Amino acid sequence: MALVLGIETSCDETAVGIVDGRKLLANVISSSVEEHARFGGVVPEVASRAHLEAMQQVIKQALKDASVTLKDIDAIAVTAGPGLIGALLVGVSSASGLALALDKPLYGVNHLSAHIAVDQLDNDKKITPTIALLVSGGHSSILKVKNLATDVEVMGATIDDAAGEAFDKIARIMGLGFPGGPIIDKQSKDGDLNHVNFPRGLTSAADLDKHQYNFSFSGLKTAVARYIEKTPNYKKADVAASFQEAVVDVLLSKSLAACKESGIDNLVIAGGVAANSRLRELAKQRCEMSKIKLSIPPIALCSDNGAMVAALGSLAITQGVKPSQMGIGADSAASIAQVIW
Amino acid sequence: MKTVLAIDTSTAQTSVALIQDGEVLFNKSHNDPLAHGEVLPKLVSQALAVNNKVDLVAVGMGPGPFTGLRVGIAFAQSYALATQIDWVGVCSLDAMAAGINQSEFIVSTDARRKERFWARYKEGVRITDPAVSKASELEKLGLPILTEGDYFPDPVALAKIALTSKSVEQPIYIRKPDAYPLPIGVKFRPMSALDLVSATAIEKQVYGKTAWSADQFKSEFAKSPKSARYLAAEFEGQLIAYAGIFYVADVADIHTLTVVADHRRKGIGRELLKRLIDWARVKKAQAIMLEMRLGNDAARPLYESFGFIEISKRENYYGPGLTAVVMRKELR
Ligand SMILES: [Zn+2]
Repeated sequence: MALVLGIETSCDETAVGIVDGRKLLANVISSSVEEHARFGGVVPEVASRAHLEAMQQVIKQALKDASVTLKDIDAIAVTAGPGLIGALLVGVSSASGLALALDKPLYGVNHLSAHIAVDQLDNDKKITPTIALLVSGGHSSILKVKNLATDVEVMGATIDDAAGEAFDKIARIMGLGFPGGPIIDKQSKDGDLNHVNFPRGLTSAADLDKHQYNFSFSGLKTAVARYIEKTPNYKKADVAASFQEAVVDVLLSKSLAACKESGIDNLVIAGGVAANSRLRELAKQRCEMSKIKLSIPPIALCSDNGAMVAALGSLAITQGVKPSQMGIGADSAASIAQVIW
Repeated sequence: MKTVLAIDTSTAQTSVALIQDGEVLFNKSHNDPLAHGEVLPKLVSQALAVNNKVDLVAVGMGPGPFTGLRVGIAFAQSYALATQIDWVGVCSLDAMAAGINQSEFIVSTDARRKERFWARYKEGVRITDPAVSKASELEKLGLPILTEGDYFPDPVALAKIALTSKSVEQPIYIRKPDAYPLPIGVKFRPMSALDLVSATAIEKQVYGKTAWSADQFKSEFAKSPKSARYLAAEFEGQLIAYAGIFYVADVADIHTLTVVADHRRKGIGRELLKRLIDWARVKKAQAIMLEMRLGNDAARPLYESFGFIEISKRENYYGPGLTAVVMRKELR
């Protein structure tokens, strides 16, 4: 089994993971999220500076946790895109430095596929075709995954905000803080999810024609803003719960429709928003009803991390995918079609 | 025998050299301001093909455009970690100055936004800390200014400096990131009729003769609450800033954005402007317009940083001889 070190710096987490085949050995994350909280959102230059500052320490800690040395490592994997260009380049340059110094292969990997690959750590699940719902602060997509290392296809994506971004913006409008996901999840626990019937974007018959698997959250955001403006004494918990229900409902209806249409009875939910407790709960209910096998990675591996990058690198090696050339650089707008560089 | 791998990515050029006891084994540069990430690993693998036993990594720590600069530093640090050797950081301007034979001069590189990174040298020694200034300011010093193109951070010189000087441990950024934390202790809230007395006083202080009167404020406030938004910022219970936007027929118009003199440059105007833009977006405005007095240079960079572009000038808008600059920002 190959020992793979994975580096992830596409947004605000400086992360390094080490896997041995499908076995997780280390997963170290240094987040600059607290620095960004003061700005109400991720600031690219602040994130990039934090990556460079943390990188060496994070690599050393991961090696320590895994009880291995760099000499033992068989391959280096790194997120080459999509993400913030300045942030990605810190990771790719560090990975190139390691690979050249160790004379080991380098695998530039796609961040989105890596989110799904993490589901294969520490288990012996068969790698079979699956529909994947990928939801985070940067992305909201439904993917058809025939082979995770070589064949991933986009069925639908958001046409405006990402789901996680919608959570951030609503939290900001309600003065709840940043990042919005966990705060709204927590607020919702005391709220009535049927209190306000917020719109489900792109679900009308007319919209479905053109946008069967696409998402839109900007109308929902406006509806929440209007409701708050009109209702000075609104209860935060109720609005949070109703908003969250509208997001989760749409995400799941469209994912299950995708399973049905493509005749694939597996669904993986990955990305930072997969940590949302209501999404997990409702997904479980609806998948049981539709007889679809549901898989959600452990919460700790849902948000951006290095283990997912190492997991995808490891999978590429198992499947005999060729390593990347030296000098791959970074591609901030990489498409999902490019799984390995 | 000591072999030094020297790297610099602080300018448009990516430079790599390999030096063994003063002998240059490899020395190559490539000019492309957007390709440091692609070029550097390729150049280093070429250098390692000549000799792959390295004892020290020397790297230019800037100043220079941030994204490219970090490529060299991240690479150098990881390379050193993996081979268990030391890395030494060098001020990139020093590696540029090393090739210049004049008694007193300034070395300067492009810092973008019409500014230059620079440092001053006398008899081969740097006598100022690296800084960033407008090109016009730099010329006022009356010294020869040597810039990249004619010179550049030479990796061979960089390797030499690394062997004799103390390591520069942190990247030389000079500029702060383009981010402004929310000012501590400042509260943002909707503006109310109770603020009018304070606001009128601030208006007089800031705008003198062209200030809005209390009546003008009142009439602005009387507009439909749905089509206008006024925000206030207070510090220790005192009104210190306010801003207002009005929305009609697809375009939102920023009527005022005012911060008292003592509280400027703290990010208060930025936060107010950000909130006005957010509001306009929720209202589905297609664009935002504003008028700014010509010569109001303090606010202009703020507007420009949010994507406002000058579209026209209105003569005598604020009174005889006072020209307004009209700026517009498209919302998608
Ligand atoms: Zn992600």
